Amino acid sequence: MSSDPQDGRRNPLPATAAAVGVALGLALAAALPASAHHAFGAEFDPNRPVLLRGVITKVEWVNPHAWIHLAIEKEGGAREVWMVEAGTPNTLLRRGFTRDSLKPGTRVIVDGYQSKDRSNRANGRDMTLPDGTKLFLGSSGTGAPRDGRDPTEPAEAGPLEPAP
Amino acid sequence: MRKARPIPGDQLAALLGGALVAIAVAAQASAQDAPARAWTVPRTLDGAPDLSGTWETATLTPLERSVEFGERLFLTAEEAAAIENAERDLTEQLARPSDPDRAAPPVGGDGTPGAGGNVGGYNYLWLDRGTRMFQLDGGIRSSIIVDPPDGRLPPLTPEAARRAAARRALYKENAGDNKGEAWWLGIEGPGPYDDPEQRSLGERCLLGFGSTSGPPSLPVTYNNLKRIVQTRDHVVILVEMVHDVRIIPLNREHAPQGIRRWVGDSVGHWEGDTLVVDTTHFGKTPGLASASENLHVVERFTRVGEGTILYQFTVEDPTVWTKAWSGEYPWVATDDRLYEYACHEGNYSFEGILRGARVLEAEAREKSGGVQP
Repeated sequence: MSSDPQDGRRNPLPATAAAVGVALGLALAAALPASAHHAFGAEFDPNRPVLLRGVITKVEWVNPHAWIHLAIEKEGGAREVWMVEAGTPNTLLRRGFTRDSLKPGTRVIVDGYQSKDRSNRANGRDMTLPDGTKLFLGSSGTGAPRDGRDPTEPAEAGPLEPAP
Repeated sequence: MRKARPIPGDQLAALLGGALVAIAVAAQASAQDAPARAWTVPRTLDGAPDLSGTWETATLTPLERSVEFGERLFLTAEEAAAIENAERDLTEQLARPSDPDRAAPPVGGDGTPGAGGNVGGYNYLWLDRGTRMFQLDGGIRSSIIVDPPDGRLPPLTPEAARRAAARRALYKENAGDNKGEAWWLGIEGPGPYDDPEQRSLGERCLLGFGSTSGPPSLPVTYNNLKRIVQTRDHVVILVEMVHDVRIIPLNREHAPQGIRRWVGDSVGHWEGDTLVVDTTHFGKTPGLASASENLHVVERFTRVGEGTILYQFTVEDPTVWTKAWSGEYPWVATDDRLYEYACHEGNYSFEGILRGARVLEAEAREKSGGVQP
């Protein structure tokens, strides 16, 4: 499968697609914290968008951020390995995912931006399987069906426990 | 007749343990037979209220109240449901499949402000900030801050406002203003990437971001668990984010002024059934945004139910805020466990940030014909 990490630059998006991208970006913005472990803006270059289609070779299930390694095939058959930055594994562990949930050999699509140091690193702005399904689904803490795992979720509507 | 032997310590412990279990079982059976009794504060063997355990502090309730709610401390059920539903809808929307034929995101950035830094961060599923607005005193609260009455931070002093503006201007990529250029070349004073020690304690894996360690301890977007371990003369709070630990000795004076810590110097004492913790002697950059080394925080921990600690705090720093401010929210007992957060283990982003700045600087110099701007 061919992939050019710079193809977002070579093939400018149609205006509508760009608008959708910006809308999604703003939706994500509404969700992302004002502060975080590190600013993605300090690390990644907005002028170097990438779209990576490749195969997972390794998952670094580490803090503060997990890194997922992909092998992509360039035009002409050259192989290139990229590292994609994700979030803390702790959140996914809490939802039942482990480092083994994402097997090497799994085909994925990642869109994001390349790091400013020009190495083969990008943020995992959107990581999906080849059919577009998100890599991990289901949560207790962020709005999936109530399953009782979220301790801030009262069993029934009503006060938690009134103060004396 | 054989002489009675003394019972070895381990056997004695086992016997005593067995006896305790028997008593506990009997008590439980008795409790099941008896009518429901009012909840009483659980106590340690020393008689102090027992705060130990693992506590979830995630909540959708913001630190500062939305301006539209004015001085209303409580929301209606409908208002709270609207906020919770909006969060749920956003989560569901962002969990939907993407276009498998999508192109790379836009050149120049995707417009994401804040920590997303114009490049979008990562998928929302990695965040974990709770699903509910918290309730206290039988109602749904509109903010963590309860004083000032509008639920918002008091104004900064002019000098603190000037410092905050200068900081925002220098660290603008952290606030979403990211053009991918070494704009800082030629400015007066150090640039934002000149020295690793200029970067935030969070980026450097030295302290959790967003004042999750505190004091005051505020909810953040993931890793919101706290574990409290308590002895007769110490209370220890282990914070999941960056595995920060606060060690709080009881009934002691503060350490000398010259000893400064990122989480300050905390001492505690019991006032009735409430643990009161006084913290001063912070370093220059406490975890609480805008705060200075003059920060002084008083926290109050009170068991108010089987599964709840009421956490209250008052913050004062006359060199930063024009008046003191206070807040409160519940810490909720959980059977979940804290996971290790070995932040230095994989902190590749930090080296990437510094190396990226060097690359952008070299490119800028090359573009300007090698002239040092």
